[in-house]
Amino acid sequence: MSGAYRAEAGALDARIRAVIAAGTLDAAAFDDLACAIFAHQFHWNAAYAAYARSLGIDEARLPRTAAAIPAVPAAAFKDAALCTVAPSEAAVWFETSGTTQARSGRHYLESPALYEAALLAGFDRALLADGARLRYALLVPDPRERPHSSLGYMMAAVARERGDGPPGWYLREDGVDLDALAADIARAHLDGVSVCIATTAFALVALLDGLERAGRTLPLPPGSRVMETGGFKGRTRVVSRDELYRQAAAAFGIDQAQIVAEYGMTELSSQYYDSHASRGSARRVKEPVPWLRPIVVDQAGRQLPDGVVGAIRHVDCANRSSVVAIETEDLGAIVPGGLVLLGREEGAAARGCSLDAEDLIRR
Amino acid sequence: MRAIADAAARWRDADFPPRVRAAVAIERRLGYSQPVVDVALDRLFGGLTAAALEAAIADELGTLDALDGFVERPGRPPAWARATGAVTIVSSDTTIGVAIPALAFALAAHCTVTVKDRSDDLVAAFAETLAEELPAFGATLSVQRWSGGADKRESLVLGAAAVVVAFGSDDALLAIRARCAPGATFVPFGRRASAGYVDRAALAGDAAALAGAIARDALLYDGDGCLSLHLLYVERAADGAHERLVDALAEACADAVVEFPPGRRPPERAARAQAFAAAGAFRAAQGQGRSIRAADGAWSIVTDPPRDQPLPLGAGTLPVIFVDGIDDAAADLRERGIPLQALGVAAPGAADVTRLAEAFGAVRIAAFGSMQDPPLAGRHGGRARIADFVRWVDRA
Repeated sequence: MSGAYRAEAGALDARIRAVIAAGTLDAAAFDDLACAIFAHQFHWNAAYAAYARSLGIDEARLPRTAAAIPAVPAAAFKDAALCTVAPSEAAVWFETSGTTQARSGRHYLESPALYEAALLAGFDRALLADGARLRYALLVPDPRERPHSSLGYMMAAVARERGDGPPGWYLREDGVDLDALAADIARAHLDGVSVCIATTAFALVALLDGLERAGRTLPLPPGSRVMETGGFKGRTRVVSRDELYRQAAAAFGIDQAQIVAEYGMTELSSQYYDSHASRGSARRVKEPVPWLRPIVVDQAGRQLPDGVVGAIRHVDCANRSSVVAIETEDLGAIVPGGLVLLGREEGAAARGCSLDAEDLIRR
Repeated sequence: MRAIADAAARWRDADFPPRVRAAVAIERRLGYSQPVVDVALDRLFGGLTAAALEAAIADELGTLDALDGFVERPGRPPAWARATGAVTIVSSDTTIGVAIPALAFALAAHCTVTVKDRSDDLVAAFAETLAEELPAFGATLSVQRWSGGADKRESLVLGAAAVVVAFGSDDALLAIRARCAPGATFVPFGRRASAGYVDRAALAGDAAALAGAIARDALLYDGDGCLSLHLLYVERAADGAHERLVDALAEACADAVVEFPPGRRPPERAARAQAFAAAGAFRAAQGQGRSIRAADGAWSIVTDPPRDQPLPLGAGTLPVIFVDGIDDAAADLRERGIPLQALGVAAPGAADVTRLAEAFGAVRIAAFGSMQDPPLAGRHGGRARIADFVRWVDRA
């Protein structure tokens, strides 16, 4: 790494960390910061620069707004090392979704510091606004077994920095270790400590199925909460989120508003969470942290007006050492306060008699 | 047969008021552009002729007379192809008039037919025309609408049917089959995809004409049909003709979407197509393959997408995979796990086509440009047209 690189990266990291610490960023400042990060990546991230150049961008015509920054498709992480430093110099890498496809990609991070600052600040805003120090019961991949799971890394960091002690990990190869979880919940009751269960949607279904089979519930101590993340793609059992939350609230003896969905991707350093205002409503709004902005685009990549459904693009200023703008196949619409995610059933009707990619994944 | 054909003839007129109303409703329901809906209706009713019906029936039953009484058959006892009983046809929610050929053959077999229609009421409108041509159809054909899965009517209609013909996704077909009577014949038409194969001999011919035909197969109906061209295998040529075909395809696609505008694409399909094209563009920028796409996203061509990348299968995308030969293509198709319906080729009569179809598992081989225009007298999805609707009675 050259001195010039170190200086540039260090200055940007300092700007981003200042924004994270302040917890606020207006629209113009967001554009300014995102474009500065893109300019940095255009210079130092060869694969991203090649893609941007193929779209007509050069040093004299750099984007001036976040919406104009070329977004890399999430699948690109499988085809190239998208990093401002050589992969061998990256401190951390996370494996991108290989759950339903054979090949996975890697999200390289030059340093974990920015990632941890971003994820902790986001978690604090969404789940720890009351300053609670919770005991973490984790139904996500254990980093000791899957060191390149971004979700496992994230929750380990949260538990380490915000927990009342070592977390419990209950996800096993054959499902959820219900007995161990129940014993630890019982201990939390005795200790008078609130619990945060962080779980994938699929693990939550497995847990609820296990409780039902055992004919029991698992009431949590007062003040406890649940963070749920992820979907059911490629899974054999699909449950509507409303139904899942209803069952979970009943099993844990908590209000549904205490169940908070996180929406993120391995390719991002920042996350969305259900906004506080929407947690009591049927349609939850995913609120970005101030240094993360969703943009909804049409099939030509053009930005759509608020309220119109399209593909979601994320501009994440905490992705300083990888790619600032990422394009997904997820559907959503911008609404006041954030983003509403839409499932297939909420989009326009499918048409034709052709097989589609989703059918193939299910087979 | 005559009444069915005469009703279809009236629907071939683009100004026939029921057709005009149905076309508008179909556009509204599925989001296709008017030219695309017109082509669909022209093809649907254009093929529904007495000659085509009679040819298919004679082929499957030996003679048309078998429908009306015992017929003598050399070396076998005389036999009568009686109506099998009540037939229920469950239309797909995502297609245009797919139930109509099936209902024509079921009526020809003298069955009592119930059809589940869609919100455009196309089948109901055609049934009215049928009843005008032959009032008896008013008693033997019932067209209804109900919501799938929970409606009591569906349980009654499915449970009472001797034959159930259903179109739809795997999940829908499983749900319908579960509600059929134990002894009923279930005739499922699930979702499929189709592929094309261009050999070196075809590359040596008129590239523009070949590309035009391929583009039509890929982009008509926005690639949504099971007979639409979803991926194209092209043999590598030493002189680079395979790459030149891609250039010709780009020009042809630009022309094809003028003739057949894709209309209002469902957001999920649009997002998947956009992501696929963008991933192709990213790889191209890294020196891996090519990606060419319309500025408005109406179509895209991506060469050599990785085998583990799910293909959008339609929505204006045409993946082009360069191969060394048939075995190479068949291996790629197997790895992608795509069940094939039709195979498009430049010359259906060429010597290698049989081996190709066998390797691909296709049930229809068609010349490029006609993949989505199957003749009524041909089989549908590899299945008989009328045989499922009759029960043979032998007289010893």
